Amino acid sequence: MKRFWTTFRYTYQWFRGQILGWGIGIAALGLLIVAFYDVFGERQADFMKMIESYPPEFLAFFGTDAKGMMSPEGYLGMYGFSFLPIIIGFFAVLVGSNLIAGDEEHGRLDLVIAHPVGRTAFYFGRLVAFMGATVSILVLGWLGFCVLLNGSSLEITWGEMTLPFISSLAQALIYGTLALLLSMVLPTRNFASIISGLVMVVGYVLSSMASLNENLGTVSKLFPYTYFQGSEAFTNLNLTWLLALFGVSAIMALLAWWRFMRRDIRLSGEGSFRLQIPFHIQRKTT
Amino acid sequence: MKNPNNTPHNPELALEVRGLIKSYGKVQALRGIDLEVRQGEIFGFLGPNGAGKTTTIRCLLDMIRPDAGSIHLLGLNPKVDPVAVQALAGYLPGEVQYYENMTAEHQLRFYGDMRNGRADWKYVHELAERLSLNMKQAIKNLSKGNKQKIGVIQALMHHPKLLLLDEPTSGLDPLMQQEVLSMLREANAAGATVFFSSHIMSEVESLAERVAIIRLGEIVETAETNVLTGRSVRRLIVRLKRPVSNLSIENLPGVEVLTSTDETSFTLQVTGDMEKLVKALGDYPVLDLETDHPSLEETFLAYYKK
Repeated sequence: MKRFWTTFRYTYQWFRGQILGWGIGIAALGLLIVAFYDVFGERQADFMKMIESYPPEFLAFFGTDAKGMMSPEGYLGMYGFSFLPIIIGFFAVLVGSNLIAGDEEHGRLDLVIAHPVGRTAFYFGRLVAFMGATVSILVLGWLGFCVLLNGSSLEITWGEMTLPFISSLAQALIYGTLALLLSMVLPTRNFASIISGLVMVVGYVLSSMASLNENLGTVSKLFPYTYFQGSEAFTNLNLTWLLALFGVSAIMALLAWWRFMRRDIRLSGEGSFRLQIPFHIQRKTT
Repeated sequence: MKNPNNTPHNPELALEVRGLIKSYGKVQALRGIDLEVRQGEIFGFLGPNGAGKTTTIRCLLDMIRPDAGSIHLLGLNPKVDPVAVQALAGYLPGEVQYYENMTAEHQLRFYGDMRNGRADWKYVHELAERLSLNMKQAIKNLSKGNKQKIGVIQALMHHPKLLLLDEPTSGLDPLMQQEVLSMLREANAAGATVFFSSHIMSEVESLAERVAIIRLGEIVETAETNVLTGRSVRRLIVRLKRPVSNLSIENLPGVEVLTSTDETSFTLQVTGDMEKLVKALGDYPVLDLETDHPSLEETFLAYYKK
């Protein structure tokens, strides 16, 4: 257990800068959004005119309509929560793909893993540090969204504000563990982060467009973003979706661990797919 | 891996490797390595780049998994109990990379913590002083040689029973190379077994009691260092009282005339037994004979020319 905590402690310490950077960024966004709502309310009539001039497809992209936009849930959903899983998702993809493969590609893992720490303790120490960093960022962001709530006409409690952040955590974990799993399977961490990032962005676009096209709605169900619950979590948090996302993340994390336990540790650099190149001329070696 | 657990091992051996095979795709890096290193021995592992030295060492510490063969370090199987093996061993990789923003001291504290705090800090500071390493400097500002010094210190800092070192003096200046070799001798005198790879012959010759030569993933020779340098290939300078136009010794097996000066002085390279050559020289007016023991380098090259 001590070996696990040592790895956790050092990894979490290395995340300090990122926790502050990402966390303060989300918190600042939250402060602005909540503070701006009352201005928005005071000039509701002007905003209604502007929103009604938007094409309905544009509003549908954010999962709302002109009337819904004026509600606290619709407002927060459009300006805050539709982007939150993407923001925290980028952090998760970058960190997840880098969590072990980053040190390996830099040639540092070889010596670290030669110490009597054990692959399992090392892996879970790093994984839990990543989860801790993600939670820390979301807590900072949540504080930013909550600080001005009491003086705002949004009429949302701190507790209710927690729910979309829990859903964002589920999103972050699924993208992070996907990136981690792919980094254990694929030869380069860049490739792992590109694929995970694509899953996130394509899911976001498809899910947003699903309200305009039923066929896209069917396809979007394959992507995790569809199961993100922003403002709708205030009143109707779908626990099944939430637990399913946590469950899939746990399965991917366990698969990544299983792979890490069995694979060779590269000395440094990226691996190779070892694909046979067609028409490759084999030179005679002496 | 075949035979991972129950291969019998000799308790007098610090390191016992049998039939180690490892492939990377179609490339067979190790082709059945057998090694025995006795407790308390300094053992040199000699070979050129790409011969399989690093692959062998990384198999020993469970960083890579062999396709076949068995390994025992201090009686432990690294496949079965890697943490116990790693706790007893000190390892220095061939190319050391660190967390660049840390200082040398912080990096060593990190390695100490990864060993559950089992590091002798008085000894660490003593080693740093001997190696003229500034522990407060950020690693990103250190030269390659200074980074190597951190690697040497982290390998020795917990007084390991077994040292596995991949080119320990790489990147160091000659003075520091000598200092590191002294440290290894001291560790050995204190009871540690030292297994180190190198392609610097003089280093192996001055430090190792026994040597294994690896070539294309196979051990081609294992012997006492002085035996290895004292046999196989000798250089012989023959000086004659008067010129001889045709020295008929070239046809003798294992004899090659390298140079001939004024038909009175011949430099010969002799492989194997000298007896027939000495008898054949009895037919000539020999003024002087001079034998030159080859360096390990020459022995090594002789193996590679085979």
